[in-house]
Amino acid sequence: MRTFYIADDVHVEDAGPEVTILVVGGEVDFEVSPQLKARIMRAIKGGARRLILDLSDVTFIDSTAIGVLAGTVERLDESGGGALSVVCTHEKVIQIFEITGLDSVITVHASREDALAAVAAAGQR
Amino acid sequence: MNPRTGSPAASASELHVLARRSELGVARKYAEDVAEAFGLDQDSCYEFVYAVNEAVTNAIRHGASAEEDMIHMSIVAEADRLTFAVRDRGTFVMPEVDGVETAAGGGRGLALMASLVDEVDLHIDPGGTTVRLSKARPSALETAQAQAG
Repeated sequence: MRTFYIADDVHVEDAGPEVTILVVGGEVDFEVSPQLKARIMRAIKGGARRLILDLSDVTFIDSTAIGVLAGTVERLDESGGGALSVVCTHEKVIQIFEITGLDSVITVHASREDALAAVAAAGQR
Repeated sequence: MNPRTGSPAASASELHVLARRSELGVARKYAEDVAEAFGLDQDSCYEFVYAVNEAVTNAIRHGASAEEDMIHMSIVAEADRLTFAVRDRGTFVMPEVDGVETAAGGGRGLALMASLVDEVDLHIDPGGTTVRLSKARPSALETAQAQAG
């Protein structure tokens, strides 16, 4: 069993003040999804509008955590626009995104660099 | 005896835990150990464990009134399938399933269970709710086809 964790904000030079990267790992289930939600809400209240969740080390994500991510998209929409991007290469976790339809409202990137490049490109439009 | 079919079971096991979120990892480990011993491949094992986690989560969320309530689990291994059952004392409320628009997420667990195992059976009686999940063992023919490419 992989232990759940959320790392502190990752600072990226020149990423912009509205870009926040949160690194999450382990198994994200009903026990820990409230922690995930609280950390994301704190970031949004702190001004994050372009949120990148690096889930590279996540091996399991349940329906309650999927609900947190879907709720994050809604919250960003309600707060004047924004975007949630996810970094994930775990085949089964991506399958869960597809079954729940979450992949239709978030962008899934293969690397943090790809996610940052997409955020930068969106900021220039 | 298998409670589902009435036929002799190859093997059966039970696990009883408190209705607490912290027991979810225990439930997943239980399901994983039995599924691996049964011989499910890696993908099928993940899917079985995932569906078990959703069923137990549902039992903890809706089937218990206090953390001191118990959640009762069992797994029966037959020749061709593995069947998990979880029983709680709550009344099942059928959620609406309409995708990610329902941010509250009520229907997602059931939709995921239905997608990841071969059979989901819901039995509701005055004493509580039982959810059964069955995953078939890939047939020898399917295994041969998979190996052939």
